[in-house]
Amino acid sequence: MPLKIRKRDEPWKWGALVVFLGALLFSLLVSALLLAGQGKDPIEGLYVLWQGSFGHLWALEGALLKAIPLFLCSLGVAVAFRMQIWNIGAEGQFALGAIGATWMALLFPDLPGIVLLPLMFVMAFLFGGLWAFIPAFLKLKLRVNEIISTLMLNYIAILLLDYLVFGVWKDPASFGFPMTPEFTAGAIIPSIGGSRVHWGLLFCVVVGVGLWAFMRFTRLGFELQASGEGPRVAKYAKIRYGMLVMLVMGLSGGFAGWAGCIETSAVLNRLQPSLMVGYGYTAIVVAWLARLEPLNIAFASFLLAALRVGVENMQLELQVPAAFGVIMEGIILMTVLAGQFFLIYKLERKRRS
Amino acid sequence: MWEFLIPLFAATVQSGTPILYATLGEMMTEKGGVLNLGVEGIMSISALAAFWVSLSTGSPWLGFLAGGSAGMIFASLHGFVCISCLGNQVVSGLALTILGVGLTHFLGVPYVGLPAPGFNPFDFPLLSQIPIIGDIFFKHDMLVYVSFIIPFLFWFFFKRTSLGMHVTATGEMPAAAAAAGLKPIALRYFAVVSGGFIIGLGGAYLSLAYTHLWTNGLSGGRGWIAVALVIFAFWRPGRAVVGAYLFGGVMAFQLRLQAMGTNLPSSLLLMLPYLLTILVLILSAWRGHRIDAPAALGTNIEPEG
Amino acid sequence: MKKLLKLFTVLAASMALMLSLFACGEAPQEKKAEEAAPAEKAEAPKEEPKTIKAGFVYVSPVGDAGYSYAHDQGRKAVDALDYATTAFVESVPEGADSERVIRNMARKGFDVIFTTSFGYMDPTLKVAKEFPDVDFMHCSGFKKSENVDNYFGRIYQARYLTGLVAGAMTKTNKLGYVAAFPIPEVIRGINAFTVGVRQMNPDAEVRVVWTKTWYDPALEKDAAKSLLDAGCDVIAQHQDSPAPQEAAQEAGAYSIGYNSDMSSFAPKAHLTSAIWNWGPMYVKTVEQVRDGTWKGNESLWWSMQDGVVDIAPMGPMVPEDVKIVVEASKAELMKGNDICFVGPIKDQNGEIKIAEAEKATDAQLHDMMWFVEGVVGTVK
Repeated sequence: MPLKIRKRDEPWKWGALVVFLGALLFSLLVSALLLAGQGKDPIEGLYVLWQGSFGHLWALEGALLKAIPLFLCSLGVAVAFRMQIWNIGAEGQFALGAIGATWMALLFPDLPGIVLLPLMFVMAFLFGGLWAFIPAFLKLKLRVNEIISTLMLNYIAILLLDYLVFGVWKDPASFGFPMTPEFTAGAIIPSIGGSRVHWGLLFCVVVGVGLWAFMRFTRLGFELQASGEGPRVAKYAKIRYGMLVMLVMGLSGGFAGWAGCIETSAVLNRLQPSLMVGYGYTAIVVAWLARLEPLNIAFASFLLAALRVGVENMQLELQVPAAFGVIMEGIILMTVLAGQFFLIYKLERKRRS
Repeated sequence: MWEFLIPLFAATVQSGTPILYATLGEMMTEKGGVLNLGVEGIMSISALAAFWVSLSTGSPWLGFLAGGSAGMIFASLHGFVCISCLGNQVVSGLALTILGVGLTHFLGVPYVGLPAPGFNPFDFPLLSQIPIIGDIFFKHDMLVYVSFIIPFLFWFFFKRTSLGMHVTATGEMPAAAAAAGLKPIALRYFAVVSGGFIIGLGGAYLSLAYTHLWTNGLSGGRGWIAVALVIFAFWRPGRAVVGAYLFGGVMAFQLRLQAMGTNLPSSLLLMLPYLLTILVLILSAWRGHRIDAPAALGTNIEPEG
Repeated sequence: MKKLLKLFTVLAASMALMLSLFACGEAPQEKKAEEAAPAEKAEAPKEEPKTIKAGFVYVSPVGDAGYSYAHDQGRKAVDALDYATTAFVESVPEGADSERVIRNMARKGFDVIFTTSFGYMDPTLKVAKEFPDVDFMHCSGFKKSENVDNYFGRIYQARYLTGLVAGAMTKTNKLGYVAAFPIPEVIRGINAFTVGVRQMNPDAEVRVVWTKTWYDPALEKDAAKSLLDAGCDVIAQHQDSPAPQEAAQEAGAYSIGYNSDMSSFAPKAHLTSAIWNWGPMYVKTVEQVRDGTWKGNESLWWSMQDGVVDIAPMGPMVPEDVKIVVEASKAELMKGNDICFVGPIKDQNGEIKIAEAEKATDAQLHDMMWFVEGVVGTVK
C-alpha cells in the first residue's frame, strides 16, 4: 500500500467544517440514490426537501420551533459528554422536566404568568436534574455504568408520565383520554408578537450564551472545554471528581428538563404522552455533530430540525415514507464519525528511501 | 400453583431467547474491546433480512443465516468507523441504531403483514417428556434449542481456544497484545463482526420464530436491554443466560399477572423489567463483585504514528 | 478558532442571502396563485367542477395493516373519484409536529383535511381558526368549531357482533382481550364484546391485558400467550398488529381480529374481525365539500348503518346457527336499531349502570370508563 497514516502535527483547522459538509453531501447523494431506487425523481426530491426546510418563512418558523427543545437537550448532552459521562438519559430528563413544570401549572393555576412561569422553570430544572443525579450517584458510589442506568430511567420516566396522565392528573373533561387539563394562561409561554415562535427562543439564546461565556471565561468552564478528562479537570478546579460529576449531570438533566418545560407550556399547553418525540435521543446526534460546542450546537440543532421539517414536505409532496429522514440522519452521523479520522490523521505517500 | 409457574417459565425461555442471542453477540464484541450500541439497529435490519430471504427462498434456515450475515455486514460498518477511522464508539453505535431502524422501516414497507416460512415449536424427542423441565425447556422451536448451545460454545471459545484468548488479550491491553506479536486490529474486527453475526441471529429469531409476520418495530428495545445485560453478566456467558431469562421472565410475569386479574396499574407493572435491571446492577456492585470489564473497552487503538 | 468563526459567519451569511433570494422568488408566485384562486372560485359553480384536494394525516405508518391502514383505504376510495386528488403524511407525532403538518396542508390549498388521531385535536382547532375556508374532519376527538367536525365510527357495534360469535365458540368460557390503552373507545369495545359474549353464553368471562402500546407485535403476542396460558380459548384484540391472531392459531385457539380482515394471518383461528370501512363516508364527505353542503361544528358518530363499521366474513368453523343469529343482529343494527347496550347492564361491582329496557345514551357511551359484569381486569 503506497499510503501511510501519519498523525497531524496540529489538528486540521478547517477540518471539522469540511468533514461536516462532506458528510452532508454524501448523505444527500445516498438519499438521492434511495429515492431513485423507489422510483422517484431524486432532483425533484431534493428540491422539495429544500423547499420544505428553507423555502418559506413558515418553514423556517417550523424549524425554529423544533430546534428549541433540541437545542436545550443537546446543550445538556454536550456538557456531560465533554466529561466523558455518557448521558443517554436526556429523553427521560426531558419527561421529568415536563412533569415538574406540569405539577406547578396544575397546583397553582391562578398565579400570574410572571410568578408561575419562573416557578415552572425552576421545578423543571430540579426534576430533570434529579433524574440525572440518580445515575450520577449510582456511577460514583456503585460504579454502575451510566449508559445503562440513564437508558433504563428513560423507559421508567415515560411510564411514569403515562401513569400520571392516565391517573391522578387526567382531565375529567377529556372523556377518559390521557391528558391533563389545559394550562391556564399564566402557565403558557406567550408567542413573540404575531409569529408562531414563542419566547422560549429568547430563553435558549440566553442559556446558550450563558453556557458559552461560562466555558470561555471561568476557570472551571475553561478546563471543561479544554481537556474533557474528568480527574484532571477536577484537580484544576479544586473540586472532588465526584462533586464535578454530580454538578455536570445535574446541569445536563436540568437543561433537558427546561426543554420539557418549554414544550409542555408553549407548544402543547398541557401534558400528554405525545410530548415524547425523541428529542433526547436526537440531541445526542446533534451534540456530537456539533463537536460539543454551544455555538455549533445552535447551528446543528437548527439544521437537523430543518431537515426533519423538509422531510415532512417530501412526504406530503412525493409520498416518501417517514423513515427517509431517519436514514439521512443516520448516514450523516456515520459519515461524520468516519470523517473524524481525517481531522487527526492524514494519508501520505510512503517515501521511497 | 404449578399451572401458573410452568407456562410462565416456558414463556420466559421464549421471551428471553432473542435477548440472549443479542447479549452474547454484544459480549463477543466487547470482549474485543469495542462497545457496540447499535444492537437495536442490527437486530432490526437482520430481522428484515432474515424475513426477506425466508420469504424469497422458502427456507427458514437460509433466512436464519441471512439474518446473521446482515448482522455481520452492519456491524462491520461500526467496526470500520471505530477501528479504522477511530470514530467515537458510543456515538457510532447510536448512529448505527438510527440507521438500522430507519432502513428497516423504509425497506420493509412492501412486506408488512406478509407471513413467511418460519420455525415452529415442537417437542424435543425424549427430553420433552421429563416432567416440569421438559415442559419448560424442550417444547420450543429449533432456534431456541440452538440458543442453548451458544453459551457453551462461548465458554469453550474463550477458555480453551487460542483465538479466544487472543481476543480477550486485545480487549484488555491492545498494546501488550501487539507487543506479543498479535494483531489487535484484526482481532477487534473479528470480535465486532462475529458479534454482529450472533446479534443478527437474534434479530432473525424475532421475524422467523417469535412471530411469523413482518411488522415494523419487532426489535422493541431489546437491543438496549442486551447492552445492559452484558454488563450485568460481568462478561461471562453463564450469567448472560440468567440475565436474559430474568428479563424475559419479568416481562412475561407482568403480563400474566394482568391476565389473572390484578388491580395494580399496568404502567407501574410495565416498569418492572427496567427497575429490576437497575436493581440487579446495584446489588451486584454492592456485594463487591469485581466488575470484569475488558480494560480497553470503549477506547480506540491509535495506529503507529 | 478565529478562522472557524469566520467561516461560520460566511456560511451563515451566504445561507441568509440564498434564503432572501428564495423568499423574493417565492412571493410573486404566491401572489399570483392567490389572485387566481378567488377568480377560480367565483367561476367554479358555473363552469367545470373544481378538483377537490383532500389531505390525510396519520399517526402511524400506513403499512402497519392496522388503524392508519384502514384510514388509508378510505383515502384510496376518495382518490378514485375523478374530481378529487389526495395526499397524506404518515407517522406524524401528535403535538407541535402535527400542527405544522396540518398547517402546511392548509397553506397548500387543500380543501378538506382529515386528521385521524385523537391527539391531533388541539392542533386541528388551532389551524382551523387561521384557515376558515378549509374544512377539517377530526377523528376520535370531542371538540368542534365552525369549520371543524369531529367524527368517529360506532365500532362497538361490530365488537358486539364479534362477541356473539366468540361467545358461541368458546368451550372454556374464558376469553382473552389484548388491549392497548384504557381509554373510552377501547373500554367501550371490550364492554360491547362482553355483552355479546354473555348473550350467547352467560357464564363466560372476558380477561383483559393492557399492553400500553398500539403497536408492538412481540409484546402483543406475549400478552396473547399469557391469556392463552390462563385458560382462554378465544383471543380478541384492540391492537394494530396481527400478532395476537398468530398466538391464538399456534395454541389451537380461536381469535377475533381488528381494523381489517385478519384471516390471512391465522386462517385456522380467525373467526371474524371488527373492521373499519371509512371509504363510503369519506367519499360522502368529499362530495359535500364539492357541493358546498358540508356543515361544520358537528359531532358525527357514524354507525354500521352508514357502512363505516362492519365485521369480516365469518370463518368456516363458525356453525350455521350461530351465523344466522349474528346476521339477524347485524340486520337490526343496519336498520339503525342500536341493540348493543340495552339494559339491565351492571358493572363489575354489580351496580346497575343502564336500567332495564333502556338503551345507553351517546353521553353514557362517550364517558364509559367502567367495565361491564363479566370482565376480569382493571381500567387503570
